[in-house]
Amino acid sequence: MPPRIRGSGSQPLLLLSSLESAPSSSLPPSAALAAPLHRSTASPSPQCNRSFSTTPARQVTRLRRLFKDWCANNAPLFRYPQPGQTNYVSRILKQSDFHEVYPNQPFPNNPAFRSEPVLSETARETIWRAVMVEGLPLKAVSAEYKVDVRRVAAVVRMKEIEKKWEREGKPMAIPYAKAIMGMLPRANLTERERREGRPFEPINDIHVHSYTMQQLFVPTSESREFTRADAAKAFGDHILPPDEKMRIPELVEMERKISQGLPPPQARAEFVEETKKSEQELAAKMRARLQAAEDRRVRVDSGRFEFRFEKINAEEVGPTGRARRAVGWRYGVPLMDRKRGEIKIPTSVE
Amino acid sequence: MRHRRLLRFHGLKRPRVRQTWNKYNLFNLLRLRTPLLQSKTFFQQKWIAKSMTRGYHGEHIKEYKWERMFSRRPLSAVNMDPTYMAKHNGSEQASGRGSGVSNLQVRNKGNFSGMTPYMQMVFAPMERRLDIAIFRALFASSARQARQFVIHGAVTVNGKKMRHPGYLLNPGDMFQVDIERVMTATGQPKRPSQNQKALPSSESSEEPAEDGGEAEAEGAATEAAEGATEGVDVEAAKKNHMKTLSELKERAKKIMAVGDKRIQAKHKKQLRKFLRQVKVAMDSSRKQSVSEMTSVEEELSSLLSDLSLTPAERKAKAEAEQEQEAATSSDKPRLNEKQRAVLAELIAREAENPHDPSKPYATPWRPRDWMSPFAFIPRYLEVNQRICAAVYLRHPVARPGRSEVPSPFSPTLSQLAFNWYLRRS
Repeated sequence: MPPRIRGSGSQPLLLLSSLESAPSSSLPPSAALAAPLHRSTASPSPQCNRSFSTTPARQVTRLRRLFKDWCANNAPLFRYPQPGQTNYVSRILKQSDFHEVYPNQPFPNNPAFRSEPVLSETARETIWRAVMVEGLPLKAVSAEYKVDVRRVAAVVRMKEIEKKWEREGKPMAIPYAKAIMGMLPRANLTERERREGRPFEPINDIHVHSYTMQQLFVPTSESREFTRADAAKAFGDHILPPDEKMRIPELVEMERKISQGLPPPQARAEFVEETKKSEQELAAKMRARLQAAEDRRVRVDSGRFEFRFEKINAEEVGPTGRARRAVGWRYGVPLMDRKRGEIKIPTSVE
Repeated sequence: MRHRRLLRFHGLKRPRVRQTWNKYNLFNLLRLRTPLLQSKTFFQQKWIAKSMTRGYHGEHIKEYKWERMFSRRPLSAVNMDPTYMAKHNGSEQASGRGSGVSNLQVRNKGNFSGMTPYMQMVFAPMERRLDIAIFRALFASSARQARQFVIHGAVTVNGKKMRHPGYLLNPGDMFQVDIERVMTATGQPKRPSQNQKALPSSESSEEPAEDGGEAEAEGAATEAAEGATEGVDVEAAKKNHMKTLSELKERAKKIMAVGDKRIQAKHKKQLRKFLRQVKVAMDSSRKQSVSEMTSVEEELSSLLSDLSLTPAERKAKAEAEQEQEAATSSDKPRLNEKQRAVLAELIAREAENPHDPSKPYATPWRPRDWMSPFAFIPRYLEVNQRICAAVYLRHPVARPGRSEVPSPFSPTLSQLAFNWYLRRS
């Protein structure tokens, strides 16, 4: 569809008026042509203060009037943020699609999506202190404050950048941060908040495998103890039971010890030790992997460039000869990356 | 790729809820209802649902691109309570039926009740896109603006500049947006009208310009009338007033004429504006009383003194004034503790959020209008607003009773949209 010009309805009229004004004695202005002209002049367009323009101003429709009225009435409600509080449309809309609208629901029609609290500045500082100053393992901090391990890591990572900027005297978006924090629900992770309220977020999430989403009928004897591990095996040979998918398995171990009669403070201390050990093991493993990758590589520094050579086996092409990791040109496999118009958006950034 | 232009982006007649913080969008969001679909065929229902949902979720992304991104297997997660895991191995769920145990008090805590809203996860793959993640992190006022930030090179991913708005974030990726861009996008826009409001005499300057000749005629008439009634005293005052005004004008003209290279274009603009104001004052002085005249004179002269000074001079003058103030206040009782604390806080606030006309947004910075109803940050992002950085922690998931994809549409519509894309994937 070609782009429409605003007020294009009046263009024939414009054309007509230019025709009319032309001095032509042979063509007297006809009544049929003059009629719409008169109509256009008789009904003055609303609030047309552009004296030089012949284009009529846009009609004020009923909807536009409604909108203007709504804006005028709701400007004090929604135009400016409520200091220290959320300001969602659920303030005035209590019922939508015959369902109740909850106060933390930014979209009245979607009860499944809620605006959940974010970590406040003090909470981020607390987490950073626990990890970087007190030297607690990430898993222990996660279990302590009920914040996901990945979030703990992200908070520390960004807090480090923030501290670096502070040292360098780089300007930060402080008024922006304050304003946004004032508009969002916050969690301070204070002692009292943690004791009384809900946990900040679920920290023991496990991914639901699509194989386990089906209903299965497995005949077993009545006397058999059918555990989670058995259920996982029934769903598929490679399906792991939830116990092995836990993000912080040390937490389950701690609870087991407590239920067996170990005093909770001692169990907690052992938990911290265990998580520390597991974290060190993971770090050692990663270091070894990086070292192995480095060993495979040969670096040649020419002064201007650093060439990196790696041994590749061209025979490793998989059973069909079309493995994704295989290198080089192979018969019958199109090289799409050289095709015209192929946009090569990187899939990861190191 | 050529970007699709949309006419009636925020229409009122055929409303579409969009990914923006616009006030029209807020109005449309309030009016949004699930349409009556009973009389429609199944195809029509799906079509309507698809067109409504796609108007919000990545309307700037072409349909074939989205169809390739769509996944028919939404991700979901369940919280496993460690206490429950430690005490039970799962066999208790099977025990009891037929064995006598009927009501077990064992529960896996930490989950909401209710079904997992898988159907609200239709557009979860879209949330992986860099531009939409920037909008979700509240760094841009619309998804299209976020896209522009990426294209203009204001965004880095893991410290490297990323120019593809369609880059799909991986869990653990950190993206960072230029602070100035974020402040401009989310702050009050700098409008000439707002600047004019700060100056007191500009409003009066517009009036005479509009109804030109009439006002002058009126002015002449009132002048004649006043002259007749009040006599010589007022006349003399007026003469004086006109004289000072013309002196001010001369001074301003001289400053202009010097042609100093240090005078910036902005400075010149201000001078010209000042001249215009003087002219307006001279025009309107005929119908003013004496007290008004003096106040106008004072205002204008102070304006000119501010204008003609270079920044260094202005600073020196302010310091001198402060010293003078300190000298005068030394014999008065000094500030008490509380007042000093308040003053210190005010100064700190000013230093943090200063008035700075060189910025592209209105200063001191304030959040833009109609923003707060749209302010939320979904759980799959962790944002640090101070450095305008955010980490994409994981893909959005559905949990019992909750879905992490911010979508304004009802489950009915989302389900129909899901069905539309099922056919094509």
